[in-house]
Amino acid sequence: MPEFSTEPFFEIARRLEMQGETGWLAVLAPVADSTAALDQLQTELQSILQKPARVIQLEPSTFEGLLEALHQPDDDAVILSSGTGLKREKWRSLDIMRSALERKGPVILWLATGDVANLVEHAPNLRSFIGGSIFLAGPDGGIMTETERQERLKQLSEHFQLTDQEVVRKAEVGELSNEPEFVEWLVLLDRGDLV
Amino acid sequence: MTLESARQRAVALDSSTHDALTALRLEPPRELFTHIRGYLFRRSREMKTENDAYKLLSYRPSNDLAEIELGPMIDKGPTPDYFRFDSGARLSFGLILREVDGRSEVVSFRYHYVFPDGRSPQYLRFDLNKAPHDDPLAEPRCHLHPGIDDVRIPFSVHNPVEILDRIFFVLERAT
Repeated sequence: MPEFSTEPFFEIARRLEMQGETGWLAVLAPVADSTAALDQLQTELQSILQKPARVIQLEPSTFEGLLEALHQPDDDAVILSSGTGLKREKWRSLDIMRSALERKGPVILWLATGDVANLVEHAPNLRSFIGGSIFLAGPDGGIMTETERQERLKQLSEHFQLTDQEVVRKAEVGELSNEPEFVEWLVLLDRGDLV
Repeated sequence: MTLESARQRAVALDSSTHDALTALRLEPPRELFTHIRGYLFRRSREMKTENDAYKLLSYRPSNDLAEIELGPMIDKGPTPDYFRFDSGARLSFGLILREVDGRSEVVSFRYHYVFPDGRSPQYLRFDLNKAPHDDPLAEPRCHLHPGIDDVRIPFSVHNPVEILDRIFFVLERAT
């Protein structure tokens, strides 16, 4: 299998947005937690493209059912999920109906690991819609690093002239201010039980 | 009209703030984070000043709580980690959410919008405290600092994205 770049969903959605929102691309689902990842991709698409995003399962959909789902409506974002993978016959039939799959809104093929080889071998026309836009689903990012957490704690401590221990002690005896910085302080210390 | 009746009205206002917060149920924390990041990305695309929403915004879950943070906790002048506006203004904020039955409850927030140098007031700050203060007349639970740390003017509870709406489409356009 060729090497594909790993991209977070934010970046994948941004690429679609830059393509004028009508493009096709494919994403290789992560092996673990692929259902949660699919939900995240759907949310990210809605957020960046500012339009609804739907998931359509390619199996066991019929030809007519798939067309109806793709075209009613035809301007939202659609994720075509191959689930745990499609058989080569399904890829061949999708390739034959490729023209009917074209629509105004963007299409993301959500693929299982084994799908890429079948897509290339048995659905060359569909593959041409995607071009080089095949990505591995990457970590979504945005999680605060430990360095950032420590920096935030330092800012709070310097500004309020209190140590982390003093803040916890004040919270335990009900003497900590209710203001938002102190709530954030406790959460940064993983002491949400005191909030 | 006495100070005591003013305090009673302030208590009643905090009580209605509590009711509004109880009624406000948002998407799950991680989903709200994604929406806010997308919101900032879209606003950035409409501006000349470059802001990388992907790098600026951070998320941290902690048991049933989650925080969404942008920029420094304490404003000490312009640095690259703020969201920067074409006017020269800057924004930092922090939002704490509690996940309840697959939805988000807003626990607290602070949005600190600093006007460009030389403007008065120098800043506006929208705060939601986690609980009522002993003196809700002086410190309503949900309040606005009009550029003065010790002055807190009450305002109604909003969806966190609606506060961004006011900052981007009202404050920034008047700056």
